[in-house]
Amino acid sequence: MRRKTLSITVNGEPVEADVPANRLLSEFIREDLALTGTKRGCETGVCGACSVLVDGKALKSCLCLAAQADGASITTIEGLGSRDDLHPLQESFMACGGLQCGYCTPGFLIAAADLLARNPRPSDDEIRQGLSGNLCRCTGYQGIVDAIREASEKMNGH
Amino acid sequence: MASTVIGQPVPQVSALEKVQGRAVYAGDLAFPGMLHARVLRSPYAHARIRSVDVSAARALPGVKAVVTGADVPERRWGVAHKQQHVLAKGVVRFIGEEVAAVVATSESVANDAIDLINVDYEPLDALLNAGSAFDDDAPQVHAEGNLAHEIRIARGDVDAGFASADLIHEDVYSTQSQYPGYMEPMATVATVDGTGKLTVWTATQSVFLARQRLAEALDRPVSTIRVHQPAVGGGFGGKIVEERSSVIAAFLATVVDRPVRLGLSRLEDFQSGCFSVPTRIRLKMGMQNDGRIVAKEVDILAECGAYAGLAPEVMLVTAMRSDNMQRIENVRSRARLVYTHTMPRGAFRGFGGTQMLFALNSHLATMADKLGIDPVDLHRRNAIRTGDTSVHGWSIGSCGLPECLDQVTGAIGWSAKRERPETGGVLRRGIGMAAAMHVSGNRTMGNWDGSTVTLKVNEDGRAVILTAESDMGQGANTMLSQICAEELGIPLSHVTVLAPDTDTAPYALGSIASRVTVNAGHAMLKAAKQARDQILDAAAAKLGCDAADLSIVEGVVQSTVNDNLFAPLPEICRYHIFRHGGEGILVTATHDPRTVMMDKDHYGNIAPAYSFAAQAVEVEVDTETGQVQVVETWLSDDCGRAINPLAVHGQSNGAAVQAIGWALHEHLQFEDGRLMNGNLADYTMPTADALPRVNSSIVESNDPNGPLGAKGASETAILPGAPAIANAVYDAIGVRITDLPITPEKILAGLAALGEKNHASV
Amino acid sequence: MRPFDFLEPSSLPEALSMLAEHGDACCIMAGGTALLLAMRQRMLAPETVVSLGKLDELRDIAFDPDAGLRIGALARHADVAGSSIVQAHCPALAGMAGGLANPQVRNQGTIGGNLCYADPATDPATFLLAAGAEVTIAGRGGERRLPLRAFLVDYFTTALESGEILTAIHLPPPGSRQMLYRRYLRTPAEHRPVVNIALSAVTDGGALSDVRLIVGAATPVPQALAQTEDFLAGKSVNAAIAAEAAALAGAEVEPLSDGRADAAFRRQIVRTATRRILLDAAGLDWKDNAA
Ligand SMILES: Cc1cc2nc3c(=O)[nH]c(=O)nc-3n(C[C@H](O)[C@H](O)[C@H](O)COP(=O)(O)OP(=O)(O)OC[C@H]3O[C@@H](n4cnc5c(N)ncnc54)[C@H](O)[C@@H]3O)c2cc1C
Ligand code: FES
Ligand code: FES
Repeated sequence: MRRKTLSITVNGEPVEADVPANRLLSEFIREDLALTGTKRGCETGVCGACSVLVDGKALKSCLCLAAQADGASITTIEGLGSRDDLHPLQESFMACGGLQCGYCTPGFLIAAADLLARNPRPSDDEIRQGLSGNLCRCTGYQGIVDAIREASEKMNGH
Repeated sequence: MASTVIGQPVPQVSALEKVQGRAVYAGDLAFPGMLHARVLRSPYAHARIRSVDVSAARALPGVKAVVTGADVPERRWGVAHKQQHVLAKGVVRFIGEEVAAVVATSESVANDAIDLINVDYEPLDALLNAGSAFDDDAPQVHAEGNLAHEIRIARGDVDAGFASADLIHEDVYSTQSQYPGYMEPMATVATVDGTGKLTVWTATQSVFLARQRLAEALDRPVSTIRVHQPAVGGGFGGKIVEERSSVIAAFLATVVDRPVRLGLSRLEDFQSGCFSVPTRIRLKMGMQNDGRIVAKEVDILAECGAYAGLAPEVMLVTAMRSDNMQRIENVRSRARLVYTHTMPRGAFRGFGGTQMLFALNSHLATMADKLGIDPVDLHRRNAIRTGDTSVHGWSIGSCGLPECLDQVTGAIGWSAKRERPETGGVLRRGIGMAAAMHVSGNRTMGNWDGSTVTLKVNEDGRAVILTAESDMGQGANTMLSQICAEELGIPLSHVTVLAPDTDTAPYALGSIASRVTVNAGHAMLKAAKQARDQILDAAAAKLGCDAADLSIVEGVVQSTVNDNLFAPLPEICRYHIFRHGGEGILVTATHDPRTVMMDKDHYGNIAPAYSFAAQAVEVEVDTETGQVQVVETWLSDDCGRAINPLAVHGQSNGAAVQAIGWALHEHLQFEDGRLMNGNLADYTMPTADALPRVNSSIVESNDPNGPLGAKGASETAILPGAPAIANAVYDAIGVRITDLPITPEKILAGLAALGEKNHASV
Repeated sequence: MRPFDFLEPSSLPEALSMLAEHGDACCIMAGGTALLLAMRQRMLAPETVVSLGKLDELRDIAFDPDAGLRIGALARHADVAGSSIVQAHCPALAGMAGGLANPQVRNQGTIGGNLCYADPATDPATFLLAAGAEVTIAGRGGERRLPLRAFLVDYFTTALESGEILTAIHLPPPGSRQMLYRRYLRTPAEHRPVVNIALSAVTDGGALSDVRLIVGAATPVPQALAQTEDFLAGKSVNAAIAAEAAALAGAEVEPLSDGRADAAFRRQIVRTATRRILLDAAGLDWKDNAA
């Protein structure tokens, strides 16, 4: 059983794949599925750039084997919204200066989606706590916090 | 009429791609037949390489090439000091230096092969401490000795200045190296085509400087190399010219004649440098009772690690730049840069300014206290003004420093907070401020600082910009697009900026010295005006009127005197092609600012404009745990004119947080030259939950030399943070920390020492 | 990461027999957050990884008025934090679980994996010791139950024998016990605790009894501050008592020195943490009166 056959759903599409057991979920997503929006920033579970939603919950795909995700539904940044139908978070990240170099952005959007699913109207403090697993070196986080607050207001019909 | 694009907080032109995860970074690229590279690094700080046995590695299935220092070109590369080879030859000078490299069919095979390389090292004594560089028995890092560079600058009569001073204060400050911490570890893909041409996609701040370095290191003509800039996940100085992995990747591609990808792990990215230059600064200053600075003397010991790189230029900035922030006549500085057997240090956002501004602002706060002056007033009293020529010959076209001071002190409630009574208790609050200046552009190498932009207007009236000034996320492309859209009267969405490519873009220096807005912005303005003139000439011919009576509004060429006379832009652009034998609108414009090179005494107006910033912070110090928490921060940046306020705030906020990290949290720990915390769990850059709301504001001093009045923004903002925090800590608990970072241990030790002193004086 | 066989038992007995079959050449994997890091740094190179991921029965969280809380070893930190049962019967535990690491790690890492890894720079062990927790361990020969105190042996070492699986954590019914937990970071930018502290006591008209005061992260395994506990028994906390207890705690703790902080610093934080948690428990403000 050096290999594992996966039946998963990725961004709504069913995927069958045969992977080595030691394949990380992050490698599987980036290399095998060529979904390169999921980034590699530290490979030690700190920076959050590799965050994806697994059954709706954000986790760090560099800390997880592809084999562990068997049977799960995975949403990567590519599945969060599309060019013509952006997720409110994507819109507000653009409008509020929630990104600069963009390298951390997919991970923050995933973490933010997870946060708003758990807590639709977070306070600024709760937003900051919700981002404690993600690093950004460009924005100073202010634009990101502002963006999440704005998206939460939009999503709650303000 | 207010502009609909200039001065508007528009999202970055690349934002749409980035929020979808569809911006392509070097590590995302893949080509058919692409191979993967890994690097073997030295475990010794200093050693002779006796021999390298690669036979087992070569024999591993899947391995395509194994190379060592013996295989790389003899020619050395470097900035001014040509000291490095593609891989170490004969000697290693720091832990992490690249000794050998493997190319294989997968990263994991390459990793396995690395483990099979056997290097026989003869360990040698290492110089690990800059302070010992001049000891008699100090190990020599390079044959020419341990002194990499020395600078002496003197103006006025420093001794007479000190003699006339009412107060003289002297102290020693030290600053630690900061890791740039961009989120994208260095990555490169290189490939060789059928003609032998080498094409490289690499995370760089400057494609032309990257090409230059590759040509040197690989010892081949520049025209045989093409460098593309993919999306870059942050640079902060570390991806200018000192970075080495792209050189290795390119060399490997020439060896295997196939595409090769080399993506560094985070640990490798840490090990290979390049961090900021650590310094030890002795600062002596004389003041009169009214706070006027009458003399200043500095002595700097800076460390560049194993190779000089850009560190000499960085140290020059440390040695003299902040002198220009004040009206001061008598200054003297000596600065020495030494080698050590540690990883190379060099360019980092602020380029040497952070180090001296920490010392200077800390010093001013201390002297203000001694004289009973509010430090804000002390800054005001000495501040350089618009129209001044500074002690080193800089012509200050605009200076918004007083307004910056007004903004931040007003926002934080400076006077009220300064006057509030001491509360005692476990948690103590304090406020502090600092001021800073930076260049926008810098005339150096080759006596030019110009920028060139090429603009094409397509037959549908939409524009394409070719430039090699690069955007690592700071918003350069958006700024250029805004200027272009404004001048051509077209929507922002009709402008595209091509990614930098040495084969198609005009020559450019790239994103260094905060020069892009001020120089490329001007070039863009010129190019757009030229294109506009061509369009209006064509329109005038077509519409049968005078070009002077035409303008372009929202994509339509419109007569200003006759409402019925107009034509949509696409029509005119097509007309231009038809009437000019098929030549579309294509213009190239260069702007070289009217600045001068420094003379041998480091005198001269090197930049077209100078930007200023001030910051005020409030901290809370936990006197039992030693923890310092920034509870409020206000930063004001005089960027001349904010072409895009969203981008300026973004730069200010990001810089403020990087400065908080440097002041309080980020500390590279070495043990015998080995980096002990080369990972993001132990090298702790602040996360959102560690920070308060970060506030920034903008002063628009409208520089006469800036495009539309704009100067640079980004680097200035990182400068005042650390001293503002140190000053606030002093205000809170009476402990003056002069060596960064301000750790809880230092706070507790400082409080204990204070306690003993108070005890003794009772 | 070295290649390995990946096994996914669908029942506890199957898991146990797989472990027996593969012996020391295999590793158990729960969430994988700690294990994968160790494997990638080549600190571990198992031939076989036995994933407990399909053993949903080990994720259960239940409460019984007599037996107390039972938390399946495979409950993730986020499950513990979000469980209405935990929130109802031991809110301090929910708070502890919801405040450790970061959201992504809480969504993946399990409380059992945390205890089995026995990394000192973690949170649950300190809290659970103060709560008087016990653990159930399944092996080929059946189940055994032992106090958490006996389970945690040393730095990265537990009482688990080869082939055993931690299945559940039990917290006795809280009764009138008050539980408090605090974690200290060396700086706000760090995420792992440098010191943590948990207090569990019965407050009887002000006077403390049955005091358990545990510090963790500062020591190889969480340490019960026995002398301080004795000192506090029967006392009503005021500023002076808290200060005296803090001094005692500082004296008796045996802190470790490592890359993150030296022993002297940790000792100071232990003093501080002791004083503050006691004053917090007594409803007094620690901000006024420095030790
Ligand atoms: C970035 C980061 C930050 C963190 N911060 C914190 C923090 O602040 N506080 C904190 O407390 N923790 C922290 N952690 C640690 C985290 O809580 C643990 O990694 C996690 O709880 C381990 O659980 P797991 O299910 O992933 O274990 P695994 O990685 O699956 O397993 C860990 C070890 O336990 C063994 N094991 C697991 N389950 C069992 C079982 N049921 N029976 C027998 N053996 C078993 C495995 O063989 C392995 O040796 C952090 C981790 C990361 C990556
Ligand atoms: S790459 Fe996974 S957390 Fe950094
Ligand atoms: S935008 Fe560059 S790291 Fe966040």
